[in-house]
Amino acid sequence: MTLNRTRRRRSQLGALPLTSMIDVVFLLLVFFLVTADFAKKENKLPAALQTEGGGVSSSDLQPQIIQISLEGEQVIYTIGQVRCSDRVSLESVLNQLPRDPGVAIKSAPDVPIQAVATALQAARNAGFARRSYVPGDSSN
Amino acid sequence: MLSVDLTPMIDVVFQLIIFFMFTSQFGDLRRTEVDLPREQGEEETVQQQAAMIIDVTREGTYRFESQETSLLEVERIASAGVMNQSESTPFDVLIRPDRNAPVAHLDRLLLRLSNVGVQKWKLATVEPDGGAP
Repeated sequence: MTLNRTRRRRSQLGALPLTSMIDVVFLLLVFFLVTADFAKKENKLPAALQTEGGGVSSSDLQPQIIQISLEGEQVIYTIGQVRCSDRVSLESVLNQLPRDPGVAIKSAPDVPIQAVATALQAARNAGFARRSYVPGDSSN
Repeated sequence: MLSVDLTPMIDVVFQLIIFFMFTSQFGDLRRTEVDLPREQGEEETVQQQAAMIIDVTREGTYRFESQETSLLEVERIASAGVMNQSESTPFDVLIRPDRNAPVAHLDRLLLRLSNVGVQKWKLATVEPDGGAP
């Protein structure tokens, strides 16, 4: 009796369409591979675009200016008379400034773009809603 | 009684799903590898796809849709985008620069964009691996 039942079960298992199952399994595999996001997640730092002397608003509101320059290999962020060389100190200086006039960022042409991102991030972390970047005339 | 064979139907349905996933994600797949600035960035409340994505390479070339593009061409595309923008769909420029590229490359591009009336832009960043750099 027991032998008969086992035989019946085996014959049922044998009827399972393996080829189509593998088909579906592979499709599922491909589907999950396609939907998985392997790319590194990118974030964004929004900023306004201002041209030097181009807008009336820039001179009227007198935004505080972060001037970025390069001394040797060191990136220097200057706000008025204060000079900072890293984001932490830049952020602490920005924290003491009024937020309403906003902040403008200007940079020397040889500075790496990472420094501009750092300045934008520091301004954002300090709570400046109005952040603008003033591109220098690098045509020469 | 006529029985519906489920297996080939699932096959076909999945094929269709994969096809549509591929075609809809085509824009993202075109994203080229760039060593982006390493900053936290800003969490976006509304995920908005940028109207124009420009890569800035370390050598000072510009790429639009993975194709090397001249500044003149970038200016032309941006100009058309600005003209067609509306209140609900503002023209949004996302710049993906190499973090070690000099600012001069970025300035050249931004000046051109500003010339055609672009007022806002976004800088793409990646989160630093080991906290703040």
